[in-house]
Amino acid sequence: MRTFATKLLRLVIVIVAVTFFSFALIKLVPGDPVDYIINYDPSGQLKARLHQDLHLNDPFFVQYWHWLTNFFTGNFGRYYGLSPTAGQPVSQQLWKALPFSLVLILYAQILALAIAIPLGVVTAYRAGTKFDGATNAVAFGFLALPSYVLAFFLAIWVAVKWGLLPVSAGGNQISPITDWRYMILPVISLAAAQVAVYMRLLRSDVIATLREDFITTAQAKGITNRRILFRHALRPSSLTLLTVAGLNVGALIGGAVVVEVIFQLPGMGFRLFQAIGSKQYVAVQTYVAVIAIVYVLINFTVDILYSVLDPRIRHARAAA
Amino acid sequence: MPEPLPSAAQDLAGDEEYEGLPVDAGTQQIAAVVSVPAATAAARRKKPFGIGAWLSLGWLVFVIAIALLAPILPLKDPITWSDPALKLQGPQWGHILGLDQGGHDMLSLLVWGARPSLLIGFGSIAIGFVVGGTLGLIAGYFKGVIGEFLGGLFDIMLAIPAVILALAIVAASSASVTTNTGSHIGNVTIALAIVSVPILGRITRASALSWSEREFVLAARAQGASHFRIMLRELLPNVLPAMFSIAVLGIAVAIVAEGALAILGAGVNAASTPSWGNIIVGGQGSLSQAAHIVIEASIAIFLTVLSLNHLGDAIRARFDVQEARI
Repeated sequence: MRTFATKLLRLVIVIVAVTFFSFALIKLVPGDPVDYIINYDPSGQLKARLHQDLHLNDPFFVQYWHWLTNFFTGNFGRYYGLSPTAGQPVSQQLWKALPFSLVLILYAQILALAIAIPLGVVTAYRAGTKFDGATNAVAFGFLALPSYVLAFFLAIWVAVKWGLLPVSAGGNQISPITDWRYMILPVISLAAAQVAVYMRLLRSDVIATLREDFITTAQAKGITNRRILFRHALRPSSLTLLTVAGLNVGALIGGAVVVEVIFQLPGMGFRLFQAIGSKQYVAVQTYVAVIAIVYVLINFTVDILYSVLDPRIRHARAAA
Repeated sequence: MPEPLPSAAQDLAGDEEYEGLPVDAGTQQIAAVVSVPAATAAARRKKPFGIGAWLSLGWLVFVIAIALLAPILPLKDPITWSDPALKLQGPQWGHILGLDQGGHDMLSLLVWGARPSLLIGFGSIAIGFVVGGTLGLIAGYFKGVIGEFLGGLFDIMLAIPAVILALAIVAASSASVTTNTGSHIGNVTIALAIVSVPILGRITRASALSWSEREFVLAARAQGASHFRIMLRELLPNVLPAMFSIAVLGIAVAIVAEGALAILGAGVNAASTPSWGNIIVGGQGSLSQAAHIVIEASIAIFLTVLSLNHLGDAIRARFDVQEARI
């Protein structure tokens, strides 16, 4: 319980720190942020008003406090300038983009695990054979293949040349569930490298588990190999995999940004990309902060789940 | 050769295959390395570097050499020379790798493109290595308030997904600067360096923490060695293998990230400074007519990343690096 309280405290500190960083980003921008929003203002009145609205005349930490209280009450500011979204609150797009990206990442995780788990178990069982060697070599190759390269080639062959699937969503608000045809190529591009990561990880853990006495016992009882592998060996071997799958959400968020931009999917990454492109710094702050907070919360959940699932970790931490 | 790290993971598993818990999985490559399909310890020592590692090293030396020698190689200028009549054409006599969408020679684009890609990859990680390594060493040696503070700082920096952090830094720092390419490469390098600091800092801290418990550190302290000397002479040599194996992977990640930033519009300026990443981005518009542009640049990135990944694994196996648990 004490460790949980400590973790919760750390979580709060980290969240406050990442919001501070996301806010401070705008201070890295050279010059007056308002100049990016208002181009023509001979009287200076508009700029002065915007300065006041964005609290830009206040001291740095007062500005941060205003921003933070707004942020946590769900007031994310609005889009400015001449962009088509000008005047709209950022929250309007954000609450549509966030679930979209989460579903995209979830799909990629499911696909990666669905391929990696059987492959990892079978290569561990057949460790040292040609099949094992070939699978590992291919996996190693996929690790070196950037997701954007795969995305470009899938887009051009599967979508353009063969016409099997749509190329891009054009930034339109599509549903990740009913418009599943738009999701297939992005999900494959995103999942490919993860398959390699998970497979290699699970393989080495299953190899270790297969040397345990209870596996010999199970074999002696005459249980089929398939049952031993997937019932007896998989579960104790899957904890590391689960942790990495959780931590990997960060890598996936990064990969999803690129893939969303390539396929123009209406997720957080694409919206952030658009906001940066049209110099919507208020929106950029919000998107970066929300992405970071989601990432922190996922890591926190994985950490808690992990210590609940694995008694060895729980006890080691209690002793320490 | 250093002894194996006194890691708790060994007690936990008692098996060669078990490489410890991947607490430091900052990026997918780094997560991947946690579990290397490993031979037994004895076999590792007998066969330190296989043919794969030598091939990897060979490719890297080759790429670095052509990048350095680009100005004196007999190549057409990648920017000023172009033949619009031949644009998008595939490999042919005089242009063995074909031409790009602007009629530039692909061979010289790829050779010159190696320069920013490698500069960003090696440069950002070199900065991250020095800064992250120093902070990590300090954090691992001074365990109290300083160690906790630096460890917390690393956690906070790792709390923002790497691509987002790099994108945000590049976007913010080069927003209005006249697109002078020098500063652009610098911006990308610094952004990726900042991203790599907590990753390298964390692995160094973890490694330094476990080594600083050892008797020889105590002995050095008993002899009156200064903190600085202990960190430099006792801890650093033991921590270096772990740092190197992660750094080599980090270079690969940074080279890929350069391309990702180019896709996100925050990469190196393609008009004046071709890089592998922006060649891919430039060529993807004509992928259906002239796939060779993207394919060739992709192969350059792929082989370099493959080599670096392989070398990172080889260093891990050679020095028996294990992830320490924190």
